[in-house]
Amino acid sequence: MIWTSLLPLLVVLSSLVPGLLIFTLREDQVRLRTTLNLVGAVVKILLVGLMLWGVANGLEFRFAVPFIPNGDLVLKGDALSLQFVTLSAVLWLTTTIYAIGYLEGAPLRSRFFGYFSLCVSATVGLALAGNLVTFVLFYELLTLATFPLVVHRGTAAALRAGRIYLAYTLGGGTLALLGAVLLHTQVGSPAFIPGGYLQATLGDDRVTLTLAFVLLIAGFGVKAALFPLHGWLPTAMVAPAPVSALLHAVAVVKAGAFGLVRVIYDVFGVNLMTELDLATPLLWLAAFTILYGSVRALFQTDLKRRLAFSTVSQVSYITLGIALLGPIAAVGGLVHLVHQGMMKVTLFYCAGNFAETLHIHKIRDLDGVGRRMPLTMAAFTVGALGMIGVPPVAGFISKWYLGLGALEVGADWVLLVLAGSGLLNALYFLPLLYRGWFGPAPTHWPHDEKLGTGRPGLGETHWMLLWPALTTAFLALLIGILAGTGLSPLNWAQLTVNMEFDL
Amino acid sequence: MTAALAALLIPLFTALGLLLLRSRSGPLVILTSLATLAAACWALVEVTTSGPQSLHLGDWPEPLAIRFQLQPITALLLVFTALIHLLVAVYAARSRHCRTRDTDYWPLSCLLQGSLNALWLSSDLFNWYVTLELLGLAAVALVALSGRKAYGPALNYLLLSLGASLVYLLGVALIYGRYGVLDITLLATQTEADQSTRVAFWLMTLGLMLKAALWPLHLWLPKAHASAPTAVSALLSALVVKGPLFILWRLWSEAAPVELAIETGPLLAIAGVAALLLGGWSALRTPWLKSLVAYSTVAQLGYALMALGLLMHWQLPALDAALWLFVLAHGLAKASMFLAAGELQATLGSKRVSALRGTTETMPVAMFAFAVAGGSLIGLPPSGGFLAKWMLLEPMLGQSEHWPWVAGILLGTLISAGYVFRVVALAFDRADPVPPDFKPDRFAHWLAMLPALVVWGLALVSQPLIAWLTGATP
Repeated sequence: MIWTSLLPLLVVLSSLVPGLLIFTLREDQVRLRTTLNLVGAVVKILLVGLMLWGVANGLEFRFAVPFIPNGDLVLKGDALSLQFVTLSAVLWLTTTIYAIGYLEGAPLRSRFFGYFSLCVSATVGLALAGNLVTFVLFYELLTLATFPLVVHRGTAAALRAGRIYLAYTLGGGTLALLGAVLLHTQVGSPAFIPGGYLQATLGDDRVTLTLAFVLLIAGFGVKAALFPLHGWLPTAMVAPAPVSALLHAVAVVKAGAFGLVRVIYDVFGVNLMTELDLATPLLWLAAFTILYGSVRALFQTDLKRRLAFSTVSQVSYITLGIALLGPIAAVGGLVHLVHQGMMKVTLFYCAGNFAETLHIHKIRDLDGVGRRMPLTMAAFTVGALGMIGVPPVAGFISKWYLGLGALEVGADWVLLVLAGSGLLNALYFLPLLYRGWFGPAPTHWPHDEKLGTGRPGLGETHWMLLWPALTTAFLALLIGILAGTGLSPLNWAQLTVNMEFDL
Repeated sequence: MTAALAALLIPLFTALGLLLLRSRSGPLVILTSLATLAAACWALVEVTTSGPQSLHLGDWPEPLAIRFQLQPITALLLVFTALIHLLVAVYAARSRHCRTRDTDYWPLSCLLQGSLNALWLSSDLFNWYVTLELLGLAAVALVALSGRKAYGPALNYLLLSLGASLVYLLGVALIYGRYGVLDITLLATQTEADQSTRVAFWLMTLGLMLKAALWPLHLWLPKAHASAPTAVSALLSALVVKGPLFILWRLWSEAAPVELAIETGPLLAIAGVAALLLGGWSALRTPWLKSLVAYSTVAQLGYALMALGLLMHWQLPALDAALWLFVLAHGLAKASMFLAAGELQATLGSKRVSALRGTTETMPVAMFAFAVAGGSLIGLPPSGGFLAKWMLLEPMLGQSEHWPWVAGILLGTLISAGYVFRVVALAFDRADPVPPDFKPDRFAHWLAMLPALVVWGLALVSQPLIAWLTGATP
């Protein structure tokens, strides 16, 4: 085997192997566990970097083993998958650092980091999956790997959230599996190709194709938190902050959204979608979810719950972008996969910092927190402004392309949705910023944990909690500012879309 | 054929030897079990390289002879039986909590293995009756090893098993009266779909369904399997119920007239769906851990029954692979699950599901084994259970008139997920964990993990395995 066929496997193994090793460690082997975590995360980034370089230079990375008749297990690095893989690899590194700081001294860390690594392995496997069977396989494994993280705290609320999470995701997984088998009986499970592999069977059997589409969308829609399948996401908030960050920004919701992208572009293909008129209902559903999530977010008093409903809304931007079936909107949707990840992970890190350092969980307690923790609050501000769509933060770019894309395909009403959602975003984020910066600070913080030096500035909280938030906030700014250059996610998304639409 | 005969005779002679020598030596049984495994593997190699073989006992000519037949699937079942028997024997010899160490478990389990191997190899109706009786008696005696509290369920099992044998025998007598032959290959050329054949086949089916605890004739199983000692529960659930299922499959796919099979298929498949749902429901409700695992056996046999019924109804030999994958995957997962459940409840000193609070901390390996095995029962990819489910789903979804059956699988999957995660979620509860009475027995926990890992490992050989099963079954 040559190295190009092994690389996708190595990318998955680079977190799987450390994860399995971590399970065997005793609680007190902190140094070894940290080393394994960080080595795994760094190696993964290097491998992904190598793959990025390779794909940009026209190399093909494909690993395949036989699995079931007509359906091999295929891991393949293409432009689309690399976008998701890179996001996962970068955010895994920052979240690992964050989690090490967050869980310092907490019990059961070996179990936590073990599942944490499995979760990332499943995400990367899913991103690299080269056909529908492989995708469904990793989709289910991701459910299994995240469940222990959701219930990690072991409280009654955590268990309840875990049960709800499982009910939704296993149900969705089963539907997606049925959809995959249904398509498999028609054409087998060939590799994902830009333009969709079902096109050859166009007009063959509308009922079967439509049913398969509905099953797959319902299955992947659960993790993408499409209304009415979003119910698990706000309850899963009881999980520790690094888990929420991972669930909301990278692993779970993105797995769902990425599944939708694959189904629409690489299984059905734009032409078939238009032919069968499958995209319109999805478009309406996405538009409704965007507004619904924002409205619900407005009424939350708990910081993390507000962020959760904001995720419900924001992930549907991706769905909206791809359901518009136009190349510009597609760029907006795909690039939002990365942009939303960066911004949302920042917001969750910051929410976790407030909770860990000052025990702030409710929005009304945010008053004056900017004076005690200015750097965290600054990072939070970048994330929140990005979500609203203020330039030059990354979120603006996504919304710009989504709007242009909607005009391009003649769906002008989408602009209203975008504007309405932007307004709602402002309504539920700006008060937080106002409270944080301009609210009256208490003379003395009642539950100050004195992580770090306890003074505003670089010591305002534990450095392992602060730096990841600053890094991702900086990245969210950077990819917005550098959007026009060759190295940006935007450029990469354009590359992918050119292939999908054969431009 | 010599190898297959050895796989049959070694356990039988071990059983006899132990009885004669008044020995109850575990290590000896492990040694002979290893020998049986080797013989079974050899038989598998033989049958793969040189095709099916048969042996006429005593060299009598065809209609009079007792014929042993070695087919690829038989050889696979021999290996499977030997593996599970060996694993459980090691557990019974090594685990601190296994209360079968110096008991009659050893000769009885060997007898059980011998009669099961005889059942796999036989191919005539009366011979099957004999092996079924032997198997039933050995199983009942094993259940009764638990002591006084198991006598009730054991007696129940005995009476039902004897009754089932009689019903089966009645069917066999009718066939003999009508056609004058008992050998299944001879029968296959003669059967016609007339009234007496129909009654005979239905009687045999009824008897076998009762023995295999197929819904709605399963009521004896949960109590019997739950009250048996842990090692015995594992053997019973993983192996014993598969014996009658094998006969049922041979009867309907080889001997029965096609019209009759097409007509009876839906009934069995519907019973399968009912088993999945109602067995699963009971597993969701029961407060006892081992009962939960036992009800899950009832539910999982529903998959096999569904595969069998649809195989008969659609006359689709492709479903053979699904049926046998279910049997293999369920056997491995259930052995793992019963061993884990037994260890958990013995260490915690409580038989309740609710006692499992916090076991991911106190006994991570055993709980992980339970969860991993459960994943295969749910059919999560890429486990063996998933492969079986996939093979069953493919012909169902392939044609739109078959789609309604998919609802059965969908609901079955969700309900299995329900009862598996009912246990697993509780194990993550940190609120007030139940402290173990004893120090956990690491070796036994890893032993429980082993078959669960094997069933997920089937993914690595899935394609050759499926190809082999599709080609291997006649």
